[in-house]
Amino acid sequence: MINRRNILHGLAAGVSSAFLPNFASAAPSIKSGGGPKRVIFFMQNQGFDPRTCIPAGMKNSGSLAGIKLPEPISALEPFKERLQIINGLHGKHTSPSHSAFFGALGGYRGSDGVRPSASTIDYELSKVLPETLLPHLCVGMDSMENMKGKPTVANLSASGAGQPIFMHSNPNHLYEMLYGGISQGDIRSQHEARSGMFDRIEEMAAARGKTLPTADKQRFSQYVQGFNDINGLRGRLGKVSDHLRKFAPKVDDRYTNPEFETDWHDVNLDLGISALKSGITNVLTIGSGRGEIFGAWKGLGVEKQGHNLGHIDQPDNPIWIKIRQYNSRMLVKLMEELESVPEGSGTMMDKTLIVYTSNNADKQHTNGANWPVMLLGNCDGIFKSGCLTQLDGKRPINALYATILETVGVNSGRFNMSEQMAAKFDSGTGSLKEILA
Amino acid sequence: MKRLTRVLTVAVLAGLGAASLSADTYTPGEPVRGKFENLAKEFLDYHCFDCHDGETQKGDLNLLDLGPVDETNAAVWKSVWAQVSLQEMPPKKKDRPEVIKRLRFADWIVSELQRVMEDKGGFHAHLDPKKGNFLDHNLLFGPLPDGIKLAPASSPARIWRVTPQEHITRLNELINTEPQFDPKKPGLRTRGDVVPTNHGGELKLYFGTDRIIKWQGGTVAYATSVKSIPVVLSSARKHGFENYPDFYTVNSAEATQILSKAEDILRYMAYGPLSIAKPEQITDDPKTYAPEGDLRGLPTAITYSTKIVRPMTPVHELMKNPGVADKGLRAAVDYLFEALTFRPPGKTESDDYLEIVKDSIDKVGKENGVFLGLSSIFLDRDALFRPELVETSKPDKDGRVMLQDWELGLAVNHALRYLKPDAELRQAIADGRMRTRADVEREVTRMLADDRIRKPRILRFFKDYFDHDLGGYICKDDKALATTGVASRGNSHYRAMFDAAASTDRLIELILEKDKGVLKELLTTQQVVATRADNSYFGRKRTSEERSAAQVAKKKAEAELAKKVAVDLKPIVAELAEIETQLKNLKGDPESRKILKELTDQKKKLVAAKKKIEGNKKGNQNNVNIAVAEAKLTGLKIYSRVSHRSFGNGSMKPERTLVTAPEGQRLGILTHPSWLVSHSDAMDNHAIHRGIWIRERLLGGGIPDVPITVDAMLPDEPQMPLRERMRVTREDYCWTCHKKMDPLGLPFEMYNHAGLFRTTELNEPVDTSGEIIDSGDPQLDGPVKNALEMIQKLSKSKRVEQVFVRHAFRFWMGRNETLNDAPALQDAHKAYRDGGGSMNALIASLVTSEAFLYRTVEE
Repeated sequence: MINRRNILHGLAAGVSSAFLPNFASAAPSIKSGGGPKRVIFFMQNQGFDPRTCIPAGMKNSGSLAGIKLPEPISALEPFKERLQIINGLHGKHTSPSHSAFFGALGGYRGSDGVRPSASTIDYELSKVLPETLLPHLCVGMDSMENMKGKPTVANLSASGAGQPIFMHSNPNHLYEMLYGGISQGDIRSQHEARSGMFDRIEEMAAARGKTLPTADKQRFSQYVQGFNDINGLRGRLGKVSDHLRKFAPKVDDRYTNPEFETDWHDVNLDLGISALKSGITNVLTIGSGRGEIFGAWKGLGVEKQGHNLGHIDQPDNPIWIKIRQYNSRMLVKLMEELESVPEGSGTMMDKTLIVYTSNNADKQHTNGANWPVMLLGNCDGIFKSGCLTQLDGKRPINALYATILETVGVNSGRFNMSEQMAAKFDSGTGSLKEILA
Repeated sequence: MKRLTRVLTVAVLAGLGAASLSADTYTPGEPVRGKFENLAKEFLDYHCFDCHDGETQKGDLNLLDLGPVDETNAAVWKSVWAQVSLQEMPPKKKDRPEVIKRLRFADWIVSELQRVMEDKGGFHAHLDPKKGNFLDHNLLFGPLPDGIKLAPASSPARIWRVTPQEHITRLNELINTEPQFDPKKPGLRTRGDVVPTNHGGELKLYFGTDRIIKWQGGTVAYATSVKSIPVVLSSARKHGFENYPDFYTVNSAEATQILSKAEDILRYMAYGPLSIAKPEQITDDPKTYAPEGDLRGLPTAITYSTKIVRPMTPVHELMKNPGVADKGLRAAVDYLFEALTFRPPGKTESDDYLEIVKDSIDKVGKENGVFLGLSSIFLDRDALFRPELVETSKPDKDGRVMLQDWELGLAVNHALRYLKPDAELRQAIADGRMRTRADVEREVTRMLADDRIRKPRILRFFKDYFDHDLGGYICKDDKALATTGVASRGNSHYRAMFDAAASTDRLIELILEKDKGVLKELLTTQQVVATRADNSYFGRKRTSEERSAAQVAKKKAEAELAKKVAVDLKPIVAELAEIETQLKNLKGDPESRKILKELTDQKKKLVAAKKKIEGNKKGNQNNVNIAVAEAKLTGLKIYSRVSHRSFGNGSMKPERTLVTAPEGQRLGILTHPSWLVSHSDAMDNHAIHRGIWIRERLLGGGIPDVPITVDAMLPDEPQMPLRERMRVTREDYCWTCHKKMDPLGLPFEMYNHAGLFRTTELNEPVDTSGEIIDSGDPQLDGPVKNALEMIQKLSKSKRVEQVFVRHAFRFWMGRNETLNDAPALQDAHKAYRDGGGSMNALIASLVTSEAFLYRTVEE
């Protein structure tokens, strides 16, 4: 089914909207009166071993106050009061093995080469959060070769069954898409060439749609409208270029001449942050390792790359400590940047939820029996924070997603889980009360 | 009394001259307009209020207050339309409306629903292929009542979005050279066959796999390393016909992706693997490329041969030569336009795209400008939609226009193929020889007769019709799968299912090659196209006693083998001990070097022999599946059409054998695991889906949508047979509909949900009984003891054959049949019969029918 939102999502994993957003400081409040206004999903590949985030000796739910966070996430120490570690969700039904792919955010069976069987939580949230120019942005981080060779891949997010959403990995392309209108030099030329071509395609398509029979005209108009949206987005971004200029990252050597892949990881994060701060998007999905079993972090001094990393037991392993610390620094940067922008009586971070987990449960070869998650940001006290929440391993990740949706006023039932499946995979019903304040 | 009052009211209304449903004549397709009060109310009053008024409310439905169609009661009216069209209501025991009255009432509801829902998403249910059977079969193939006047047939002028398979085939033609048809190996995939899904069931286009000579890592690493693009156009439907023209558009997500992937394709057309690899990766001596480190999953992990195998096109020429001349640019534009739209560009089109490319080059230089500019052609309307707009001719007296020239040529081509028209058809179009029915007949007959001309659309019809290729996408519960007896570890079952779909495809093709009694053969063949895994899938699930016995036998065999091993090992062990002693004694003796060497060599040989014998200790017993009495499938070696190499060692293998199914256990495609698993769920068989399939695709019956008040769940009782858990559907309220499906699906309980034949279920004899109820052919009705008996009965039925023809009509016309199509359907059925059950005759008849050739342009 095609609807306006789907069309909007067209534009490279979700570009565009029909109107200018009110921007961060004046984004419309959600009807439910609570819940996050923006959500970030950070998906590290190869699993998230709970021992890399749960303080040693902590077995049960309890406060993190006065307890030292493990080394891999020690960067989060100053933000501990905003952190909730959730241990004991499961994703057995998603068949993670190497990666659950779309199933990680969809809560259904996923595997290499298996198309999404329904929409994913990030897309669903993008539909209901305050509207933005670009409802949903996905960025992916991988080895330099993969990011250059395949700058867009779709492994994690989907707008419906069989409808993957692509993530961007080449920051030059992404920058051109978001900020081409305010750029200079080659990026500007590319932007103009592309815009000119799109205008022309739209013009030609529109002309050839005029004589169609009524029913086809309607269908074809959706096609033409797609170009209109793409061109419209460029136009709208152009119209608010003064505003965007304030948030656009500075293009430096890391974009055009990166030393390591982590240079591109960093600038992709910067672009994601800028899109949130400028109000271009309210949902950001970060795929570190792009949902697959590869990935590289040579810039951290990690020489091993790809699949082998997954075979390493994560706790106390120097490589995984480095990668998780890098993730944690990225989370800190996200929080600090969002904290720097006033919103209402507080800051953007007050109404932001960050969901950090893996597309692969707790480790590389896993049956998904434990799927650890960290939430950052309590969204004005809706979510518990400063604590570990230990669950019994009988509720699926779908319950977490349904709970997040509930906080923004959407009842999604069990979120992509039928009653038949729930009879086997979910011991409870309704929201995950344990994680709510 | 109540009835009398209403009759009087209606009589008064009629006396006042109000419009009525009881017109003398009825022409299908002509709108029935009128107000609810003086048109529909009469029908409701006569036929519905007796049971559905405020007092009686059968089925909790009160129609007394229904009133004219509006947004709020649209769902109820839709349900009324379904019940009346399917002649479920009024029930048989009540007075039933005259045919014309019924048809007019149903038409009135549809036009009213279309009117009131126009700005609310519209009303399209009657256009859905699943609702095609709502039109009474007997009216299409039997005598028409007096007063029904048929209009000349035609289809609406329209555009069809190309299918995902067509689209990816067009792109594949740009970058890959596929093998030509080899009559000695007719089953192997060749140019023109569909681009197949990979081992994961994903439709993907791979770059340069025919040049890959070395790679690092296993299947997953290889897959990740190879450049590929996934199918971009969406297809939302899982079951049945996927491609009516009014289903899809191309949304902006797809347009953006097409554009981005177009640049990848264009670069590959220009530079080949150099567009995706470093120069040192392209060598015929892989030893010269020895990069350090673990490259698994990276594009640099691959070595390509230097042999050029991709098609050499004007895009290559353009980028090979320095500078940009108009001639080269135009050649590239025109080449791409025809490759993507299947027709040459008009002068204006060629000029427009040339201007776009030049404009892009001006802005960003040749390298980027050519690729950016040319990529716009991938988004041309006719590259994504096939027009049948008949804009250049004038309508005849009935408002119809016959397709002509390129539109007709491409329609005929599309009926059979995914490739662009071959040279003969192209010439015929260019020469003005695609304008008459005889022209179409000539080309269709020529193409159908030539095996070298691949015709994947025919196979697509059977895939859509049987839905036998969904098994690999049914996510099975691991434990539930393990109980079926098949290998349940990893992805083996899913891969077996994708293999099974390819095998069934090939079986269909073999039956089509003979082209005799095609439907009957498909339903009753004993032939099976098999892989090794099919020894299990076509095997029999052992009973509990048999499993115990097999376990004992296995242990016994293991013990006997161990005994034999011990005997075999004894002399070796003794000799080894002897050698050890000698070696010990000779140690340090410089004169015994030669003997020492001989002894050491002998020791090595003995150790190897010992290892081998010990390795055989369990013999083949490890591989013995005690849960299944495997079928011993042996036969002629043949091929099935599986993927272009995509996943290295993980690629699907084409080798198959043509075998005979175990006797008394199988009968045709509906009893093959590919079909059975496609109609199963995570935990068990899906008797309801199977029953619906039989009801709709063979008997031509229709089933109304599930009422929204129904909680369509079977009780979760894993220790109860499915038949018992389905007791809930036998409650009065549910049974009205479920009697149409359940008794047709339950005979397939003779197979478990992986498709294995079984005689017991949960250690009790399995109940495989069923019944054909209200089929529309009294000779078919009655109980059946199992699926085999039911299929035998159905395969002999003329009605079943006609229903098959109805489905073929829908596929090739891209719409549901109307009563006006009755002559075309009867002709097609006659052609099929006269040809001895010939699919070719059926297709030729359909493609030369007025419904195919003519379009109606709306005023």
